[in-house]
Amino acid sequence: MSEYNNEELSALIDGEYEGNNDKAIDELIHNQDMKDTWSRYHLIGDCLREHLPEKISNQVSTHVSNTLRNEPTVLAPQKTKQFNLKPLAGFAIAASVAMAAVFSVQNSNDVNSVSTTPTLAANNTAPQSQTFSFSNPQVLPASVRKSDTPEEVANQRLNNYLMNHNEYRSNGSMNGILPYVRLVTIESQE
Amino acid sequence: MKYQSLYLLVALLVGSVPSVNSADNLPDPQVLIDEMSAASRSLNYDGVFVYTLGKQIDTMRIIHKSGDGESYERLISLTGHAREVIRDKDQVRCYFPENKAVVVEKSRLGKLISTYLPQPIKSISDFYIFEIAGEDRIAGLDAWIINIRPIDKYRYGYQLWIDKESRLLLKSELKNQLGVTLEQIMFAQLNVLDDIDDALLEPSTAAEGFTWYKNSPNESVETNESDKQWKVTWMPAGFSMSEQSKEPMLTSRMPVEHLVYSDGLAMVSVYVEKLNQQPDITVGASNFGGVNTYAVFAGGYQITAVGEVPKSTVKLMADSVKSYH
Repeated sequence: MSEYNNEELSALIDGEYEGNNDKAIDELIHNQDMKDTWSRYHLIGDCLREHLPEKISNQVSTHVSNTLRNEPTVLAPQKTKQFNLKPLAGFAIAASVAMAAVFSVQNSNDVNSVSTTPTLAANNTAPQSQTFSFSNPQVLPASVRKSDTPEEVANQRLNNYLMNHNEYRSNGSMNGILPYVRLVTIESQE
Repeated sequence: MKYQSLYLLVALLVGSVPSVNSADNLPDPQVLIDEMSAASRSLNYDGVFVYTLGKQIDTMRIIHKSGDGESYERLISLTGHAREVIRDKDQVRCYFPENKAVVVEKSRLGKLISTYLPQPIKSISDFYIFEIAGEDRIAGLDAWIINIRPIDKYRYGYQLWIDKESRLLLKSELKNQLGVTLEQIMFAQLNVLDDIDDALLEPSTAAEGFTWYKNSPNESVETNESDKQWKVTWMPAGFSMSEQSKEPMLTSRMPVEHLVYSDGLAMVSVYVEKLNQQPDITVGASNFGGVNTYAVFAGGYQITAVGEVPKSTVKLMADSVKSYH
């Protein structure tokens, strides 16, 4: 498991490893160095959280292994398939909101033959303001493009949640600016 | 004896040996954090900082002006596209020159005056351990280092560098259980000023031909068809619901139920939305910087938890959501 660096091991312990967890754990089991690091990390974590007992035995894992060896086999539940959403870039967050807005307006205009279609590329000097009111059925934003895949729709929805969460977060945190830093700084990672 | 040597070993491994041992002359970390919150609201400053997320590094400039009890803030990206965010008490305007777009959101900066730190910092000390971890120098300024360690695995830790003089935040890191940094902000330059020219708070783009997008909540929003009420039945100790609302969302037909939970430091949003489409595409975990999300689908509703907490916390909270009439 030498190809796994300590940071990845740490992520694995936190349940936040991005790669194949099962494979990583299989390799971990067969690598004494990594097993030692694994134990040390848990020890560090316990120490940081002040969960350490008065005495520590480094034989615990051996005892556990021996006990487990005598246990009947338990069939692990099938891992549920997880939908892997795209990295949620700040840019994608804002862009998806903007794009969703455009889709909605244009769609409803198509349907209703309204001639005031706003366009992104227009050379208007006065800013156009599109207000999305939920009492107005013409701009009901559920009219996402037909060609949008369910994945895109799901991504847009999650992006909106993130943006909304960030607004609350910017108010309730020591780091008032951080949520907006996320919004401004991140390139789309698609 | 064994315990002591173990502590030393661990301290060496983590690299966080407190460099200041005597308890004399050290500021109280919680008082220092309160002073930091006050300073970041009340001072005028102009600074450049580096934001690091994983392997990505970006540079930004922040200009903050306060006066008449109000705050004005402008954030400018110095790398990549010249995006800007301008905040006052009413609005947040996000300029995206590459898209010729301005997205306008309602500002919560007004509320920020009284609730920058949602609760007095004392009340969260049951769930985090605060300590002065040493001294450092950031952006040419002398700083105190504060460690904020969670008492359990359901929240992240923080490390803050606070300017000894102005009390402004010079650097901050969000850390997981093992002290691995997930996200970092560090100032390279920071000037505290007597006054800020209003011109510095104007966007650098004329926004000619830009399209403006407003997401404005309307009082006459359609109500959800059902009278279902939602409740998170599991959350880490110390968390409680701080807010509940219905949020209009541009991609949602109905306003989305929004429940906000906080332990005073970390915050988790839980969104409940009725869906008609295939559920299997929308469930599971995702991650952006220090923010984890987890979505489940139950009985025609998608439930999504979003927060600056470990993945296991958003998952447990999303899984625990129950409806009642």
